[in-house]
Amino acid sequence: MSTPVVTTEHVSKWYGQVIGLNDVTVSVPPGVTGLLGPNGAGKSTFMKLITGQLRPSKGSVKVLGEPIWRNPHLFFQIGFCPEQDAFYERMTGLEWVRALVRLNGLSDKEADEAATRALTEVGLLEAAHKKIGAYSKGMRQRVKLAQALVHDPQLLILDEPLAGMDPIGRRKTIRLIRDWGRAGKSIIVSSHILHEIESMTSNILLINNGRILAEGDVHQIRDLIDEHPHTVYVRAADPHRLARQFLNDVTGDDVRSLRFEPGAVVVETGKPDVFYARLTEMAAGGEFGEIEEVTSPDDNLQAVFQYLVK
Amino acid sequence: MSETPLLRPIPKAPGYLASALRVFDLSVGEMLWSRRTIFMALVVGAPVLISFFMRMLDALGAPIFHVNGTIMTGPAIFGLMIWVFYLRFTVPVLGVFYGTSLIADEVEDKTITYLFTRPIPRGAVLIGKYFAYLACTFFVVLPSVVIVYLAIVPMRGSLGASFLDLLKDLALLAIGLAVYGAVFAFIGARFKRPLLIGLVFVFGWEQAALAFPGYLKKFTVAYYLQAMVPHAMPNDSVVSLIQGIFHETPGLGESLVWLTLILLVFLWLAAVNVDRKEYVLEQ
Repeated sequence: MSTPVVTTEHVSKWYGQVIGLNDVTVSVPPGVTGLLGPNGAGKSTFMKLITGQLRPSKGSVKVLGEPIWRNPHLFFQIGFCPEQDAFYERMTGLEWVRALVRLNGLSDKEADEAATRALTEVGLLEAAHKKIGAYSKGMRQRVKLAQALVHDPQLLILDEPLAGMDPIGRRKTIRLIRDWGRAGKSIIVSSHILHEIESMTSNILLINNGRILAEGDVHQIRDLIDEHPHTVYVRAADPHRLARQFLNDVTGDDVRSLRFEPGAVVVETGKPDVFYARLTEMAAGGEFGEIEEVTSPDDNLQAVFQYLVK
Repeated sequence: MSETPLLRPIPKAPGYLASALRVFDLSVGEMLWSRRTIFMALVVGAPVLISFFMRMLDALGAPIFHVNGTIMTGPAIFGLMIWVFYLRFTVPVLGVFYGTSLIADEVEDKTITYLFTRPIPRGAVLIGKYFAYLACTFFVVLPSVVIVYLAIVPMRGSLGASFLDLLKDLALLAIGLAVYGAVFAFIGARFKRPLLIGLVFVFGWEQAALAFPGYLKKFTVAYYLQAMVPHAMPNDSVVSLIQGIFHETPGLGESLVWLTLILLVFLWLAAVNVDRKEYVLEQ
């Protein structure tokens, strides 16, 4: 039996009167694990606790067998990609990743090589000398991934790494995460979209209202999702043209309804797998204009959680 | 039951100072080109503009340099400007605005996560950013002093004769920036609303404590800095009022010892506080 990469025992975290995490006892095994829950469920609090950014109000958190709070040495083995879209905007991608990995004790030359390698891995080498401030949302997500993996950590902790990416970037990143998992890295990845998590791993932790509801195989709850409509927000150069294609396509029975928002179309689908596959193909073809951003609000997942909690 | 090994051989971590210097490398550019630097440029730009204006008035023969029948020389005016503009205003104000924000800016910008999830002590992050603060403030403040010196001192004075005083002034201001920065780095790391506390300290506590006789003034930074001011103030003039502040000053050696002690203790306290504090980022 393999030793867990993360263990928490009766961990609670309060922010003043607000509870972020409530008496969570969990063991995360090696491999890829998805942390799934709606916004405000406690995912980010969990991520911050297991990366030592927050101290538990109660209980203990161990990562790779050691307490993480005030134990910076562990970060030789951990790479963290945070949720927030925050950078030193004036730096180029290469400068930023290189400066961060220098904090791991690498020499200038080693840091330069490692940063170049990481940027290559996430497909950003061509934009390495561009300022981060000029990066698209997808590129910003990828440069965050690069800084997380630049020191070749054993454990990667990724907080909503696909948020705001375009369909192609999303597909590439999912493939990267699966590859890293196959290469022997342990990965904890959070999302509020079951479809995303499911495409990376079958091992999930379900979290809601600060509690772990379930852990184990994603397929056990997979069927539930089809009973609930899934909403997808697609920001595109020409949302009307895109919408026409959603409805005209012969396989268009995956779209239940759609509505327009400024610069975007919001689609309700009963078959998220089919819809996402179709969207990716449309983005790759390029004939329907640029698809800039795809996000999914969490209300569909919330419905599943409400069902589970009942 | 076989267990997978959890930890690979751990690389050697950079030392505390080496970590701080790498944080310095990362931070100094961002700090120098931040909005705060515009504020700093305005603060240090004022005495420069005033010095040019005075030089112009002097060239036009305006009688503004006659105080109680005494003609003020360039070196005396320069000394007065160092005390009034720089030591009593610019240095503490920059110390407050930069020192209290060393970590707060990273927290507000949500970039602190990248620094706190690297294998370096959190305290080293603060020290590195403190070094960046010193570099930025020295880079802007000290050249402005040199410009004021070049503009003011030639008025009935000699650049060569006052050069040693300029060097002493530059050293004094550098020490002031270092000590105030350390004090406010601690206040920034320890307290909520550090800017307010810092401004009250500079414009409330320090002013009041220096005005009262007794031991209170020993709990200010300005008390020890004033002992190092190299300029003699003119007597029988309005300026002598300001000279009153210079009474009861400690010796140079004693001041240096106390300022070093204040710097080290507050910097250490700031680093310890950052090391132990958790920072909750706004969602």
